[in-house]
Amino acid sequence: MALKEENKRLLAEDDESEPSLSNSHSRYDSDSERQMSACCDPSHLLHRIIVLIFMCFLGFGSYFCYDNPAALQTQILQDMHATTSSFMQLYALYSWPNVVLCFLGGFLLDRVFGIRLGTVIFSLFVCIGQVIFASGALFNSYWLMELGRFVFGIGGESLAVAQNTYAVSWFKGKELNLVFGLQLSMARLGSTVNMNIMGWVYSRIELTLGHSGYTALGITLMIGSATCVFSLICALVLGYLDKRAEKILNKEQGKTGEVIKLTDVKDFSLSLWLIFIVCVGYYVAIFPFIGLGQVFFIEKFNFSPAQARAINSIVYIISAPASPVLGFMVDKIGKNVIWVLCAVVTTLAAHVMLAFTFWNPWIAMSLLGISYSLLACALWPMVAFVVPEHQLGTAYGFMQSIQNLGLAVISIAAGSILDNRGYLFLEVFFTSCVCLALIAVVMLYFVDLLRGGELNLSAKQRLKRQKISEAEDEKRQRLLQQRAEELARLRPMSAFGLRNRYLSRLGAQLPDHYCTHLSALAHRSVLK
Amino acid sequence: MQLDMDLQRGDKHFVLLLHIFINIHVVWGLFLGGADQYQRKVSLELNPGLNSTSSAPFNVSILHVKAVGNNDTLHFILASLGPPSLLLVHTGSSDTQLKIDWNRLMTENSSHSVWVEPVSSVLYSRALLFTKVWEYNDVNDTADFPSAPSKYMFPPYNLEDFVWDDLNKSVDKTAHTAKLCGKNVTDQDFVNGSICFKISAFDALGRDEEWPCFLHDANSSQIQFEIDSVLPRSNKSRFGLELVSIEENGVRSWIDTKHSIDDEYTPSIFQVYSLLSVKGNGSGPVLGYTHWKPVAYRNRTPVFEQATPSRHTGPQSKLFSNHWGLPIAFYGKDIEPKYTIMSVNITFGIAGEPYYNETYYLSWTSLVGIGSPPEDSFSTLVICIIAVGLGAPMAILLMGCIIVQLKRRKPVTPPGYQPIN
Repeated sequence: MALKEENKRLLAEDDESEPSLSNSHSRYDSDSERQMSACCDPSHLLHRIIVLIFMCFLGFGSYFCYDNPAALQTQILQDMHATTSSFMQLYALYSWPNVVLCFLGGFLLDRVFGIRLGTVIFSLFVCIGQVIFASGALFNSYWLMELGRFVFGIGGESLAVAQNTYAVSWFKGKELNLVFGLQLSMARLGSTVNMNIMGWVYSRIELTLGHSGYTALGITLMIGSATCVFSLICALVLGYLDKRAEKILNKEQGKTGEVIKLTDVKDFSLSLWLIFIVCVGYYVAIFPFIGLGQVFFIEKFNFSPAQARAINSIVYIISAPASPVLGFMVDKIGKNVIWVLCAVVTTLAAHVMLAFTFWNPWIAMSLLGISYSLLACALWPMVAFVVPEHQLGTAYGFMQSIQNLGLAVISIAAGSILDNRGYLFLEVFFTSCVCLALIAVVMLYFVDLLRGGELNLSAKQRLKRQKISEAEDEKRQRLLQQRAEELARLRPMSAFGLRNRYLSRLGAQLPDHYCTHLSALAHRSVLK
Repeated sequence: MQLDMDLQRGDKHFVLLLHIFINIHVVWGLFLGGADQYQRKVSLELNPGLNSTSSAPFNVSILHVKAVGNNDTLHFILASLGPPSLLLVHTGSSDTQLKIDWNRLMTENSSHSVWVEPVSSVLYSRALLFTKVWEYNDVNDTADFPSAPSKYMFPPYNLEDFVWDDLNKSVDKTAHTAKLCGKNVTDQDFVNGSICFKISAFDALGRDEEWPCFLHDANSSQIQFEIDSVLPRSNKSRFGLELVSIEENGVRSWIDTKHSIDDEYTPSIFQVYSLLSVKGNGSGPVLGYTHWKPVAYRNRTPVFEQATPSRHTGPQSKLFSNHWGLPIAFYGKDIEPKYTIMSVNITFGIAGEPYYNETYYLSWTSLVGIGSPPEDSFSTLVICIIAVGLGAPMAILLMGCIIVQLKRRKPVTPPGYQPIN
């Protein structure tokens, strides 16, 4: 109830904001310098750090709850009498809404709700979704749990976009990279804490109740949804602080600047389609596998449940320190296709190891963690090399949409394969998905080679070409100013390179859509 | 006339092709299976030697499964004489007969009232008895049967005290199966329930369709143990089964554990256990085996989520009992000094798994046979997927290299015309 009221208040404020802006502005102006201490002054670093804390915890709930099913796999299977395929539905249902929302998230934030209201709405979706999910377990009805995951999915991915937009609007030109890094760490912390703590919470509740069963599961998930409520509170506080800063500093509401035109699809090159295939083939062999991982390690390698949860979270733990290091390395060396090839081959080796050997799975999982981070650093920036700037939003949106579609379909397939054919076949299935990605990378390499090697340049060559093309651009711009937008191509090097580039160019007052890639990078697959 | 000749020629071609095809098939078969292609002629006979008009006395029924090979014969004898027992006799001739002296079998002095003729042809024999079904109250959900406190152990069901159904009702002579069901008639818990043993005999290499989908060959038969709708004596009851194996002296037996990465046929089960019987001190050839996977199923049609792990303890030596009708009838009353008796306990469920009263059903399967147990291998589908999955990128890599090389080496045609001279 309190939430609703606060929401209404926010809505009302939003409506009133236009006429009252000048009034309040002048009032604040006269008082601000005398009255506000450092932590209340929106332009002061201390205040921004407070904002940053809220910003980090904004996504915590959604990351914590996304992998709840994986952390409680045995309990869900047992207490809800679920088959593995219906268990994997929980993951598929998260992905389904995002097949569409990848295109819509940015639009909704910019044009319909605005960043503040949008964030609150997406947080509400996450929160309500998780509560429905938990009450499904409490009332022992599986379809309610599935509905909960669907609602959760509507909010989850778009919330990440909102989180990034907030970061840009508060920290642009200042500590943005650090902020992105912190948000990333927070996301991983959420996933890891969830993986390692939920089983323990369940066993404590089981002990207090005196019996296991759906009630214990429901209570555990309800406790998990506390993190979502916490995130919702963060969203409300952020909305308030942002509003206040707008009045004081007279700054605009943050925008994702995402422009999506579905008709651009017909212009996509073969290289881009191959990148899409790599993306789908690769990620479907990672996320559904982690979803099913816990029981796999218990049954094949005789791990204890706690050990199994620990090893299942190792991919996230490794990627935290590895991402910046590998990102820096790919930045410096270039040769993105080769790095992607390395990542895919390593993943293939890891899956083959898990399928055909009893070797200590820590080896395979560590390899998986490293190659996963490497792929994220090398694959996502490649899109920017083959797509003109104004189509980047569409390309990233499309890539994530296909990825979510793949995740949804493969999750269901993986569940039913496990139910009927067992783990060896499941691993062989994942291996074949990685093989598909491998085929696409090899083809990408040759296609690129035959077309002049845009993608696989080393960093030095790229810099040289960039200089030349920039010089040419300048020349052309002078000659043909009306066609300048078409010809100018940004050639950033990595996720971090992209961001840096964006920052350096902001001073030059580029059109809004020049930062399209930023919101796209906020999605789960890149952040994790 | 011409047409006729053509047809004949065509026929010849066809026959030739057929020959080649068959040859390939045979070679392929040899390559794949070799000796595993061995076939036997299997026949089932109920109560051999007893007049078909007179039904089996004292509710005893004996099923004789005879599997005749090229130069040997396997006799499987399943009997409800005492506890349900399976006797396995391997003879070195394709012409051997099972003889039962029914008059003597039903008396006190039943020693050697069951025998195989000619006696000298017997190469190897062993008996497998299902003697007891354990039940214990797993109050703390530890599923630790060996160290369960005695106050939580219920008195075991002694299967020799059960009344067993006539096998005539369930025998299927074309599918080579029969099901022996029995109950404790004095016990209220068995009003609707029973404990059953289903035997399936096989004439060639193949695989069962139901989980655990054992690979079987002509030298094996399968026994499925089933607790169906028996009422448990507590809400947290778990069950166990006692197996007794009787071997000749000089045969060593132990449980061999094999880890297998292949769980395609029995999802999520990565171990196989075999109670092996080996001639001599363990170095000789494997004479026979009882083979199982550590899994039981909690419903009639096995599915993944109703699988429950099983565990075993033993083998430990076991004292002879006078109630074991079939071993006495075959080996004689003076079993003990000449034969080794071992018991293995199989218990169902592990900590955290649902109790028996969730489905009121349990089934567990084992394979019994002579020689070494058949070894599983990857299915063709798995091999194909891996071959295509790894082969295709290699092929594309190779093709790509060739195309790139060709493009680079494209000869530059000299401009203009060649000189005429």
